[in-house]
Amino acid sequence: MAVIALSTSQSPARRDLSVKTFLPLMAPAIVLALFFAVPMGMMIGISFQSRDAGALTLASYSRFVNDGLVLVGFGRTVVMSGLVAVCVTVLAYPLAYYLARSTSRWRTVVLALAIAPELAGVVLRTYGWLIILDDRGFINSALMWVGVISEPLPLSKNLFGVVVGLTHVILPFGVLSLLTSLQGISPNLERSAQILGASRLAVIRHIVLPLSVPGIISSLLVGFTMAASAYATPALLGGAGFKVMATMVYEQVLFYLDWPFAAVMANVLLILMLGVAFVGSRIESRLNQNLHL
Amino acid sequence: MKFSAFCTGVLIFVTLAANSRAETLVVNSYGGPYERIIRERIITPFEAAFGIDVVYDAVGSAAQDYAKIKATNGRPGFDVVVMTASQSLEGCREGLLMALSPKNVPNLAHLSPAMASVAGPCGAVHEVQYLSLLYRKDKLADPPTSWAALADERLKGKIILPTFQNTMAAYLVEILSVANGGDLLDNVEPGFEAMAALAKRSIGFEQSSSIMENYIKDGQVWAMPFWNGRAQLLVDSGLPVDYVLPKEGSIPLMATLNVPKNAENRRAATKFVNFFLEKASQESWVTGYKVGSARTDIDVPADIRAKQITTEADLKALHLPDLAGVAARLSAWGERWERDVVAAAN
Repeated sequence: MAVIALSTSQSPARRDLSVKTFLPLMAPAIVLALFFAVPMGMMIGISFQSRDAGALTLASYSRFVNDGLVLVGFGRTVVMSGLVAVCVTVLAYPLAYYLARSTSRWRTVVLALAIAPELAGVVLRTYGWLIILDDRGFINSALMWVGVISEPLPLSKNLFGVVVGLTHVILPFGVLSLLTSLQGISPNLERSAQILGASRLAVIRHIVLPLSVPGIISSLLVGFTMAASAYATPALLGGAGFKVMATMVYEQVLFYLDWPFAAVMANVLLILMLGVAFVGSRIESRLNQNLHL
Repeated sequence: MKFSAFCTGVLIFVTLAANSRAETLVVNSYGGPYERIIRERIITPFEAAFGIDVVYDAVGSAAQDYAKIKATNGRPGFDVVVMTASQSLEGCREGLLMALSPKNVPNLAHLSPAMASVAGPCGAVHEVQYLSLLYRKDKLADPPTSWAALADERLKGKIILPTFQNTMAAYLVEILSVANGGDLLDNVEPGFEAMAALAKRSIGFEQSSSIMENYIKDGQVWAMPFWNGRAQLLVDSGLPVDYVLPKEGSIPLMATLNVPKNAENRRAATKFVNFFLEKASQESWVTGYKVGSARTDIDVPADIRAKQITTEADLKALHLPDLAGVAARLSAWGERWERDVVAAAN
């Protein structure tokens, strides 16, 4: 009886709690279902269709694993995204650290400048880099005018140009990821270490860096996933010989009209990014556990 | 009684308002000079003749428009779309475009049968361009006469090529194949070999025709393959450039008018297509946009006739492509282009 009494008195409350909890989630859930889950499901479905008849087949997947050029493009995407993630994190770290610790009145200006590139569109910024890095661009023209070089340096239409352009595009996101993490580290820890005789470098190395590893992982993840899915910058700065997954998907959809194969490539790209995000989040949560032990 | 009289009045007003509103037609095509000329030469006269309001939609390339038609199963939000013969064939095969015939578009009967057949039953060829050899008059004293001129020693590092995603590339492979003893479809080996040799001597590849033309404008490039319609615009702009139809011939680019299968105003759309194919409209379009026509009965000035495809004799200088055959081989050619041609340039 007592058990029955307890359950009847608690169950309405639980029901109310669950309805109240989930009601606000309904609108975003519907939006996500309609504009993300359904199209994603359709894309997965298309990847199993044949190009002509629409019959179920694994032909496009088979083509993916046997097509050398596509696999090279996949490998290129991984290398490019990895390099961009590292460059973004390395460049963003000192800036984020300054923003987290500074009390200067210039702090707000620096923060605004760090985020300012996002105000201009990606295509605009990429064209800016094209003007700088092109064979007849600013850098090559200046070096040739000074007489340092006689032939233009290969600064664009290759991996270097794309990594530079993407690093610039993604840098503000890296700064924001790291800033959140660094602001969570108490400045008292650094002061204590310095009072106990640690040098500034030792404080950074033994206190700040280990505690900010979750932020570093976040920045690497943001950099990697944004670079892997970027289209405009690789298309404009990469040139004809630099194909990555995003540009190859575009070609399959609009030029070759092979939507099943494009869907396969998009799915593989999605799996790559989910895999990287999963590994990153596992490392991050393990580090967090260790830090709070 | 009063209420029913009021309702009847409202009903009559709504019916009259609906009937008095002009029919609307959404035409999707290109922006820039194209938009200005099509508005002036075709759309305004069409609106005056039929009392149909035309809404002009210049958003998207032909490839993007086709993707939109495919994604919406033939109801993309526009009623007439300008694409190429390749997309007309593909759209017809996929059942996304309305079939056009002399029954619903009487002027189709006046098109050259050879040209009309290339685009298939869903595309009305309203404009013909060809792959020409564009060159700088101030750099090359003797005008080139052959595709082989691109391999001239003087042009080393002075030519630019399209990427494979620009339709020009596949056509260039085909025409170089024919010029070097191969054919248009099954034996394109000589074409790829010639392209690889050209790639080594080029300054690189560009996908967009508008970016390609910047290279010849600033003198970085002295010669390049280019659609003759765009080449003519450069000539007319006063640049020291000219273009030729090389002696080995060329391959035409046929622009087509298409009506998506489930377009909202299909009746008005077929009227527009038919109007565009009228003799007077074709003459106006050919003289305005400086392109060729699939109608060989048009009267145009001699200077335009000399450069454009307007007669049966002109058609003989062209190699008409089997676009379905090209589409079937496009993926394989694209892979080969990356392996042989792009690799040769690097």
